[in-house]
Amino acid sequence: MKTMKLAMITSALLAHSAAFAEVTAITNATLHTATAEGVIEGATLLIENGKIKAINPNNINADVTIDASGKIITPGFIGSMNQLGLVEVGAVAASRDAGDDAAGIDFDASTAFNPRSSLIAYARKGGVTQNLVTPWGGKSEFAGLGFVVDLSGTFDSVTDRQSALVIHLGAKSEGSRAKSLDNVVKKLASHQEKQNKKDDKDKAKPTAEEQVLTQVLAGEMPVIASVSRASDILEVIKVKEQFGLDLIIKGANDAVLVADELAKANVPVILSAVSNLPSSFDSMHASLDNAGKLEKAGVKVILSIGGDGSHNVYQLRFDAGIAVANGMSHAGALKAITANPAAALGIDGGVIEVGKRADIVMWSADPFEFSTTIDKIWINGEEVSTESRHDKLRDRYTTDSDMPRAYTK
Amino acid sequence: MVKYTPSIVVAGIAAALMGCQDNGPQKEKVTIEKNPYPSTYKAVPSRSTLITNATVLTGTGDKIEQGDVFIVDGKIQQVGKDLSVTADTTIDAQGKWVTPGIIDVHSHLGAYPSPSVESHSDGNEIVNPNTSQVWVEHSVWPQDPGFNRAREGGITTLQILPGSANLFGGRGVTLKNVPAPTMQAMKFPDAPYGLKMACGENPKRVYGSKGVAPYTRMGNMAGYREAWIEAGEYKRAWEQYEAEYAAGLNPDAPKRDIKLDTLRGVLDGEILIHNHCYKAEEMAMMIDLSKEFGYHAGTFHHGIEAYKVADLLAENGNCAALWPDWWGFKMEAYDMVQENVAIVDAVKNSCAVVHSDSGTTIQRLNHEASKVMNTANQSGFNISEQHAIKWITANAAKSLGIQDKTGSLELGKQADVVIWNTNPFSVYSQAEQVFIDGGKVYDRNDEKYQAVSDFMLGQK
Repeated sequence: MKTMKLAMITSALLAHSAAFAEVTAITNATLHTATAEGVIEGATLLIENGKIKAINPNNINADVTIDASGKIITPGFIGSMNQLGLVEVGAVAASRDAGDDAAGIDFDASTAFNPRSSLIAYARKGGVTQNLVTPWGGKSEFAGLGFVVDLSGTFDSVTDRQSALVIHLGAKSEGSRAKSLDNVVKKLASHQEKQNKKDDKDKAKPTAEEQVLTQVLAGEMPVIASVSRASDILEVIKVKEQFGLDLIIKGANDAVLVADELAKANVPVILSAVSNLPSSFDSMHASLDNAGKLEKAGVKVILSIGGDGSHNVYQLRFDAGIAVANGMSHAGALKAITANPAAALGIDGGVIEVGKRADIVMWSADPFEFSTTIDKIWINGEEVSTESRHDKLRDRYTTDSDMPRAYTK
Repeated sequence: MVKYTPSIVVAGIAAALMGCQDNGPQKEKVTIEKNPYPSTYKAVPSRSTLITNATVLTGTGDKIEQGDVFIVDGKIQQVGKDLSVTADTTIDAQGKWVTPGIIDVHSHLGAYPSPSVESHSDGNEIVNPNTSQVWVEHSVWPQDPGFNRAREGGITTLQILPGSANLFGGRGVTLKNVPAPTMQAMKFPDAPYGLKMACGENPKRVYGSKGVAPYTRMGNMAGYREAWIEAGEYKRAWEQYEAEYAAGLNPDAPKRDIKLDTLRGVLDGEILIHNHCYKAEEMAMMIDLSKEFGYHAGTFHHGIEAYKVADLLAENGNCAALWPDWWGFKMEAYDMVQENVAIVDAVKNSCAVVHSDSGTTIQRLNHEASKVMNTANQSGFNISEQHAIKWITANAAKSLGIQDKTGSLELGKQADVVIWNTNPFSVYSQAEQVFIDGGKVYDRNDEKYQAVSDFMLGQK
């Protein structure tokens, strides 16, 4: 039995290393690094063992060389705040696992993640290689834990199960927003008090919820607060300061009113570039130019797809383009879908930098433009396809056949 | 238009004669006012305007480099190169693009406005599977800030539809996208009414879950058929009344029913069907249904699976109003292909339309069309910009029955025109100036032409 297990493990390792042992060189590339290095022209990029091994090395010793002349190389894009892998069809209850009435601080939906979901391959069409999946939560203002996945489609796609604590604040259809915030403050205060007590018997065996709160209070786990109204954002910043939270604001339709405060408090903001309707009294300043204004104020902006962000996360690059058309810098918009989410959420990737995870996309031209296509895409150093069942359906219905189309596969 | 053979009319009169007791002087004839909430639309003031040196997409399939567009009295007077005309205003559009005003055939602006508060949730009368009696124009809140946002994206005409919870959701209305205090002042003069129908999941979910028919898709079909049978009887009753009256008799008018007025309007060819319908097999049945009862099945909206029956749609003269990439939010939206519009469009005599159904994407229908054009071209199609623009202009106008009035830059058409900062199929494109009936209603670089809703005025 033991021998068999070992054999299985060995063969699995071999299967992996067969692909990983290769060194891939991408030459003559225009690298959009999403780092302080900016754009590097005519560069060579070496990939080995899933990592970026070198940029412009002295010697190129590669198994595979890809000429990227005229192409643009970016880090893989990072989606966030959607239910990728937790929902197949929105209105089919049995295909949804992102919410549960009983969900709370320790709700970990990552065990329900389905890497074979048809949404994953479709999302790769947009150059998305990693994603922060967030739960809908339940009745509590604590929605649960966001987790990070890669979009390889393999069964080991979940790379971090506890990436952020998600809380919902602001406008409510019943009751008062004050009560929600108060619940959060009291929960944090009570745990802090418990931690400060010496010789607490329960300390040795913390519950799952307490483990999360401990990380949150230590500033080790980001807290993503969904909130849009400016006054609410200021209240949440106070909570951040009181408890030393690593705070991220999501929604943030009126964040422009408090852009300086957000910049000063070093709070990143997750927003939709196309959210510009006053959908509620919390969002009276929603505007297409908000992303650019926040960028100029020194706020770290993260772009995320509004509405059904799970099925539509491939559109991230278009939203980045729209942000640029409305005042954001091109480099800033690229960071908003790569380096910024990576930094804010502790994700390996999002930049082209030696030692980082090799999530790389090779584009025919400007990655934000509709006419641009993906030539190649690597996730964790392995080349992956952008084909999805949508392409199979298209081919079936655009290929002539004497037989019924069901025979066209 | 369904015409009745003389023998049926004669038989009807004969039957009426026998049953008619009152042969005295004729009472006043009962007629149905078909336009009780008439348009009071007035174009904003305009001057003759010459736009020069632009890349012009005419909406008729042409592209004119360094082209000129001449607008006089709110109408397109001339389109071409190096026009030698005198205008009150000349706009040098060097480096810019010009298209017809963008038309969205599927919007809920004003009926589901922003802010989306309960007090303004007026888009769907979800109390009965057949609410043909409601007219969405009676729900339109003209101060919806979304109208202004849409205009800033080049939308000059839009059809507001009721929601899709019902088999028959009620009448839609076509509006000119001008800021106005009343619905009537936005109402597109002489545009036909639409009737919203809905297939599939929504009606059966909404009513089935209440224990009311329809509970299934076969229940949906039964519901449509029963309604059309009743509408046919209503139509015959009124035609009989009119024929008897014309024959000098003194018949009693049938009892008026505003639900059936609308359905009869469809049978008379005066009201156009706009049918929320995703699936191939359902579109095919809706076409047969229309033949069973003698009307035209109109435009299929959302048609996620339109590509599976593209031939059928073209053969029957049905437009398909589609998204480029929405999918997966329900089972009937699962089989999306990004080339859907292109596949429908590729068939001879087709009518492919790109629509929004969204207060957000209505602001960028040019981008929505661009997604289709580019994705399709990458998989082997060969679609030009001058062709793709028709999906959001000329074809949309056809779907709404206003193709003789707007939707292209042709002599005599209403001067609904957009000047874009660059190629409208670029992600960086923005509408710079928008004209409706020749009057400037938006200018990105001049605050004077940037309308603000009453609701947004003075908000801090």
